[in-house]
Amino acid sequence: MSRFGSLPRRLVHVVIVLFGITLVTFFLLRLIPGDPALAILGSGYTHARAQAIDSGLGLNRPIWSQYGLFMSRLFHGSLGFSFFYHEPATTVIVQHIPPTLFLVAYSAVLAALISLPIGFVAGLRSGRVVDQVSRVFFTLSFAMPAFWLGIILILIFSVHLAVFPISGFGSGVAGHLYYLFLPALTIALGFSTVLVRSLRAATITTLHAEFVDTAQMKGIPWARVLRRHVFRNAVLAVVAVYGVNLAYLISGTVLVENVFSLPGLGTLLVNSVTDRDYPVVQGVTLVFAVLIVAINLLTDVTQAALDPRVGQEIGT
Amino acid sequence: MIRGSRYRLLGAGFVALALTATACGGSSSSASGGSNGSGTLSTLVIANAVKVDTLDPEANSVNESIWLDQNLYSRLLQPNATGTGLLPDLATSWNISKNGLTYTFHLRPNAQFSNGMPVTASDVVYSIQRSRAFKGGWGFLLTPVKTITAPDPHTVVITLSQPHAPLLADLAMYAYSVVPESLVKAQGASFFQHPVGSGPFMVTSFSPDTEVDLARNPHFYGIKPKISKVKVLIVPNDNTRVLELESKKVDVIENPPGNLVSEIDKTPGLSVQLFPSTRVDFIQLDQHYAPFKKLAVRQALNYAINRNAIVKLAYQGHAIPGASFLPYRMEFYDSAISPYPYDPAKAKQLLAQAGYPHGFNTFLITVSGDVAGQAEAVVIKSELAAVGINVSIQSYELTTAYSKEDSGHSQMGERYWTNDIIDPDEVATFGADCQGGANAFSSYWCDKATINAVNQARSELSSSVRQNLYNQVQQAVYQQSPFIVVDYSPYRYGVGNWVHGFHATPLGNYDLSLETLTVSSH
Repeated sequence: MSRFGSLPRRLVHVVIVLFGITLVTFFLLRLIPGDPALAILGSGYTHARAQAIDSGLGLNRPIWSQYGLFMSRLFHGSLGFSFFYHEPATTVIVQHIPPTLFLVAYSAVLAALISLPIGFVAGLRSGRVVDQVSRVFFTLSFAMPAFWLGIILILIFSVHLAVFPISGFGSGVAGHLYYLFLPALTIALGFSTVLVRSLRAATITTLHAEFVDTAQMKGIPWARVLRRHVFRNAVLAVVAVYGVNLAYLISGTVLVENVFSLPGLGTLLVNSVTDRDYPVVQGVTLVFAVLIVAINLLTDVTQAALDPRVGQEIGT
Repeated sequence: MIRGSRYRLLGAGFVALALTATACGGSSSSASGGSNGSGTLSTLVIANAVKVDTLDPEANSVNESIWLDQNLYSRLLQPNATGTGLLPDLATSWNISKNGLTYTFHLRPNAQFSNGMPVTASDVVYSIQRSRAFKGGWGFLLTPVKTITAPDPHTVVITLSQPHAPLLADLAMYAYSVVPESLVKAQGASFFQHPVGSGPFMVTSFSPDTEVDLARNPHFYGIKPKISKVKVLIVPNDNTRVLELESKKVDVIENPPGNLVSEIDKTPGLSVQLFPSTRVDFIQLDQHYAPFKKLAVRQALNYAINRNAIVKLAYQGHAIPGASFLPYRMEFYDSAISPYPYDPAKAKQLLAQAGYPHGFNTFLITVSGDVAGQAEAVVIKSELAAVGINVSIQSYELTTAYSKEDSGHSQMGERYWTNDIIDPDEVATFGADCQGGANAFSSYWCDKATINAVNQARSELSSSVRQNLYNQVQQAVYQQSPFIVVDYSPYRYGVGNWVHGFHATPLGNYDLSLETLTVSSH
């Protein structure tokens, strides 16, 4: 397993990155004008009421002692108490993780199902009708903002055809698959463009590689050359793109969550920033950071598993 | 190995698609089954735009949550449907001592919480004291209250240190909802995850970000609501909410966006209903900025702004041009005041008189994402440009905008007010009394006579004397223009014509209408 030799060092990096993130979010958050008292009181704001709220939330203490408290709580597995939900921030965050994770996984699967065959075929038949149609279709779907595409899908599939629900998360795995189909499709269509285009390009490059000619000259059937040599090498290039974009998807689901009323992490983060719900914002940012770092790590590991050369490069 | 995993992935995808297909079939058949029925339905489905902050009345800050709360809890008294008077709730009658310092409330003997426990006077005392003590809450309204006691299980006595005219209106406020003392003490914060109250409905399921389900409270003292269930969905996206209504999966939607009002009205079976509210839209003028210190400048701004154009362009005609700073036609509203007329020539003349013949530069803070507010800002910018004032529009996210406007280093800002009680004491203290805690809507305008009138009206019990005092306050604010009252905008609800009798009061509560409305099949 020497190709995974860099793993321990990477894990140390992860810890440093996460610590940096607590520092940055904690202080950046407090640089935004406005505080929780203002978000709570709105037009009923008076200085006296705001001070009472601040002292109730412990916000009148020096900022370094607030950070110290936050970190010591963190090591005990607590993120503090949400100002807005009046519940522990960990409880609030845990409740919001499933819709987002499910949505991202579902979109990732749909995107792979859509883009792997189309991208590969478009590469093999480059310049032909399939290629041109896929180019136009995916450029269009990429250009459509998610909130617009989502509304169009609702209009067609929920209002006119009435086959999918408009909003909600459903219950049970089958329920989630049903309720999240339109939101996942919305994300997958946008996500597929990058995958289709990069797989197409990689396929064309691979087709011209010398080892493909060699394989062909050795008399290996063409279908097998495509499957074993062309596809496998082309898809390698897409894995990195897939990983990077997947990480981006996790924090980018907020628009889709909003359109389809999904109580996910993206929505929670945006609302909590508006409410200046510091404990929740800090917690969600940490969760995002962990997920993104984990996906990056997983992408590297996957690449190493697919291609021995990758492991040797990052292992040195 | 790799090929194997890829094929497994594909297999899983097809299973997912197959499941999806079967799920669709099931749902579409049940939907058509529902629409074939006839007669009345037992469930009302409401889609709100904003998540629930809490079901704890002392800590509520979000309007939608407050309106939801009112269905769960009773108070001593409640505002009537027009928001101009009070109705009995838990108290059937009350006496006020001659000197106005002792209030005695007689509770209805048969009131019960939704779990069957009786509502006692000590529950009432506990609930009011609890809300009073809540940090940053509404305790300051009850500052003159000396003691709250329960001499017997059906009587509550409140004594004051000085007469306090808004007391009854204060007690009708959501924050003073009655909760069962024993349960709240035993369960603490977790009580409000599954609260028990004595209102017409009770909570059966609570997910603050997605859905709150209510069922009729079998122990409610009042009339039995005709519907047995209420489902409140949280649908933040404006377009999605409208589509939910159009697909008839939802009966009532809160606050449809202004630009979709005419589309909803055109859809057969749907309409947008407007209910007068206590909302007052105004432009803050911070007197720390030199030009706004001058009365002539503030009056010039009032003449330079075309309120009819703003109502038409920003609110699609669904608002009323603003005159007095008190919410439209609430108690003690002075109808003799009429909006400033649109008169740019007079505005220019006043500006010249104030020493700004060529105008000045200023900025206007708006909340990003507030579509009507952005439209309003654009209209104001172009109208003020016509009299020589150069306005730059600065959009911020909600809390940042509030923070800038409250900072005391602001210039112009779009803001609005809504009442929490039916008495004008609250809005007068926040808007016209620079010592009242809110710096007269952050204008830093201080007028001794007006401050005195606000304070006097609070401790004066005679209605006619209060009317005179509030007229004086309203006329002073109108004439002195510490801020620009732009319009009164109503609450908007998109409602299916199969819902009969939905109504929101000017404070936004709809609990009274949920007791009587019916839903026919559709």
